[in-house]
Amino acid sequence: MHRLTKLLLTTSLVAFAGLSAYAEKVLRLDEVAVGELDPAKASDYADTILMFNVYDTLVIPRQGGPGLVPHLAASWEGEGTSYTFKMRDDVQFQSGNPLRAEDVVFSFERMQTIAQGLSFLFVSVDSVEVVDGNSVKFTLAEPYAPFISSLVRLPIVDKKLVMENLGEGDGEMGDWGQAFLSSNGAGTGAYIVTSHNPQEETVMVKNPNYFLGIGEDAPDTVRLRYGLEAATVRTLMAQGEHDITSQWLPPEVMRALVEDGNQFLTEGGTGAFYFKLNTQKPPLDDVNCRMALANAFDYESVLKLIAITDEVSSGTGSTGAIPVGMFGSNPAGNEQQRDLDAASQNLADCAYDPNEFEIEITWIAEVPLEERLALLFQANLSEIGIKSTITKVPWALFSSSVNDPVNTPHVSQIFVTAVTGDPDTLLYGMYHSTKAGSWQSPEHLNDAEVDRLLDLGRTGASDEAREEAYSALNDRLLAIAPSIYGFDRQSVFVARPNINIPALTDPDYAFGLDTMGFAFRLMAIE
Amino acid sequence: MEHVFDLLIRRIWLSLLVLVGVSVLIFLIARVIPGDPARIALGPNATDEQVFKLRGELHLDEPIWKQYGYFARDLVHGDLGTSLYTNRPVVEDIIQFLPATLELVIAAGILMVLIGLPLGIISAKYEGRFLDNLIRVIALLGVSAPSFVWAVILMLLFAFFLPLFPIAGRIDTDYDIVRTTGFLLIDTLLMGNLEAFTNALWHLFLPAFALALSGIGQAARLTRANMTETYRKPYIEMADSYGFPKWRIARKYAFKPSLIPSLTIIGLDFAAMLGNAFLVEAIFAWPGLSRYGVAVILRKDLNAIIGTVLIISAAFLIANLVVDLLIAILNPRIRHGR
Repeated sequence: MHRLTKLLLTTSLVAFAGLSAYAEKVLRLDEVAVGELDPAKASDYADTILMFNVYDTLVIPRQGGPGLVPHLAASWEGEGTSYTFKMRDDVQFQSGNPLRAEDVVFSFERMQTIAQGLSFLFVSVDSVEVVDGNSVKFTLAEPYAPFISSLVRLPIVDKKLVMENLGEGDGEMGDWGQAFLSSNGAGTGAYIVTSHNPQEETVMVKNPNYFLGIGEDAPDTVRLRYGLEAATVRTLMAQGEHDITSQWLPPEVMRALVEDGNQFLTEGGTGAFYFKLNTQKPPLDDVNCRMALANAFDYESVLKLIAITDEVSSGTGSTGAIPVGMFGSNPAGNEQQRDLDAASQNLADCAYDPNEFEIEITWIAEVPLEERLALLFQANLSEIGIKSTITKVPWALFSSSVNDPVNTPHVSQIFVTAVTGDPDTLLYGMYHSTKAGSWQSPEHLNDAEVDRLLDLGRTGASDEAREEAYSALNDRLLAIAPSIYGFDRQSVFVARPNINIPALTDPDYAFGLDTMGFAFRLMAIE
Repeated sequence: MEHVFDLLIRRIWLSLLVLVGVSVLIFLIARVIPGDPARIALGPNATDEQVFKLRGELHLDEPIWKQYGYFARDLVHGDLGTSLYTNRPVVEDIIQFLPATLELVIAAGILMVLIGLPLGIISAKYEGRFLDNLIRVIALLGVSAPSFVWAVILMLLFAFFLPLFPIAGRIDTDYDIVRTTGFLLIDTLLMGNLEAFTNALWHLFLPAFALALSGIGQAARLTRANMTETYRKPYIEMADSYGFPKWRIARKYAFKPSLIPSLTIIGLDFAAMLGNAFLVEAIFAWPGLSRYGVAVILRKDLNAIIGTVLIISAAFLIANLVVDLLIAILNPRIRHGR
């Protein structure tokens, strides 16, 4: 009897240990609705999380440093207007179909035909063709140095699977598989979509055949939920039913969660917050007046406004137009400072009498934080004798009113992010004269030197040449102040303490690209 | 009953006319909200060429009467277009989200009737006494705080401090439910899975109760007011003096006539909840049509706005129709056309 009891106990323990060892690791996180699963349409944060986990790209950013490394491509060569990528031959799609060069051609053509998401990044591409069996050649209409970095936004889809699932539409290609890909995955990625409701939740499981392999501690199942309220997230986290919050939680909720024993995650270096000054509207068409505003702005107080705790903040001090860490940026330690004496001198040199003007400061209705920033700026301006008014503008109205400098307010507040991590996608749309009058460019800047440097950044033959161009551009933008460079943006999330994500906690493992830190295969649940 | 049938036919025709009117009105209103739908749909990084292409696909550059013509033609074929928010056919979205909201609203409606009316009756019966005062305070609390406040309070009390109820969603993720009707309570029963049914019911209770609280308060107050007034009528006094049993007086002579105004309000509340449930849906992560409706308005998703508003309007009209029929059945003067 005694032996039988021992045997039963041992068996139970072994079974329990076995069960524990194979206990499913589930990761639950949330983002703003909706989650767009079709990679050709991906543009928001949730879409991009899906894209980077369900699909792969030819290249990805280097972890822990600048530059790009081959991913689905084994290698690449070329410069100027021609680039050839040799494909890996050991990759297969989640469907089991092998990855071929023609999948790259198909993915590119599909993205350009649908013309949504970030397809504008590839307008310079003239043609894409298969060469030598398993290589693919991109030919550009003109040299475009950021082309390689743009490829981090060209997810490769399974042509064979999509062709088998074409929906109704005009022409031979029907809907290009849009209906199918809006609820199914067709990538090579580390995670396979098992269910998808764009307003509720996407469920993904590990891809056992992923070509790079996935660590044992990485989540087996991921549940990406959409549109959870702050109160709901707070309660779910407290009950252990949620693992990572979105970046959109109010700071006080984040603080409370961390006080409960959770940890902060951060991601930054690819975007910044700008007060954009209308350079075509008096008195801000005078550079001295703009410089007066830039010198009067309180760069230290703004950091206090966006701080979550003493150690963690939604931004870091700005050193110029380019966020720290990006090509051409000024290094940390050179943060901008308020200088009221210089501001008064600038104002004295300005061709306009400040008493004759009232500066209109707008804030986007959907971003409540901007109201506080507007109030701070208003207080700063009053200290140098400039009157101002604050106006709340819905995004839809703002984006349509900035086409004309006359309708554009004196000061607009905008967060801008480099969608590929390259400064070109941050700066060209903001400051090149041909792009003036969009939501990114309410400055309506028309400066020949800025245009020249931006074009040089696009055509630079080497990284060094490009860095030099962007560095000079940064200096020029500081000198003529089309914007006030408020702070470098940092996205902050809260995660349970057992979630280990080096890419979002350790700069040595960080990617220089928004959202890439959410590659689930690189996470560990302990 | 012939009069009831005539009333029904007349109301159905009128409802169809109202729906056409609503479709024209919402079509025009959706187009005058500031902002370019194509620009909003494609996001801040879209180029002018992309926006131009989408505007063409949406016929936004054509005269508004022509645009309505396209819409009406597609509507007749059961096609409400594609949502710019979810990139799926609007009909598909409505089929996906409507059952969740209907399930929530029906549950809230049932709670409203089951709790609100008895509270009103008890309150009227014990008019001026402690129980009446207590019920009036509870009813006032229910009416005075919006449902989303109750949602947060209930979540804090019964999911956070006392973890008795689930926090989010319609059912635990462990259950694999075959979607037949979209109503989880029905689908789980169709599968014969009682455990999943109980789990779905457990998830439904807090959001439904939060949504119903205002209606419960309103129904209780209205029923009480009507019943106390009816109790003062001479025929009640006469029935009392004839020695009729109290319960019979309450049920047959006081409650029945007092029910008519309450029923009208409950019917309207029920339909209004379809549109008003969005904050409760947001707090309890309930994937319903109401939440979808608000999201599409913010994104100026023209097709989805019209689709959602038409569904909610139809629900209003159906609720009105049902209430009118019930009143006709309860009120002999209407039933017999007098």
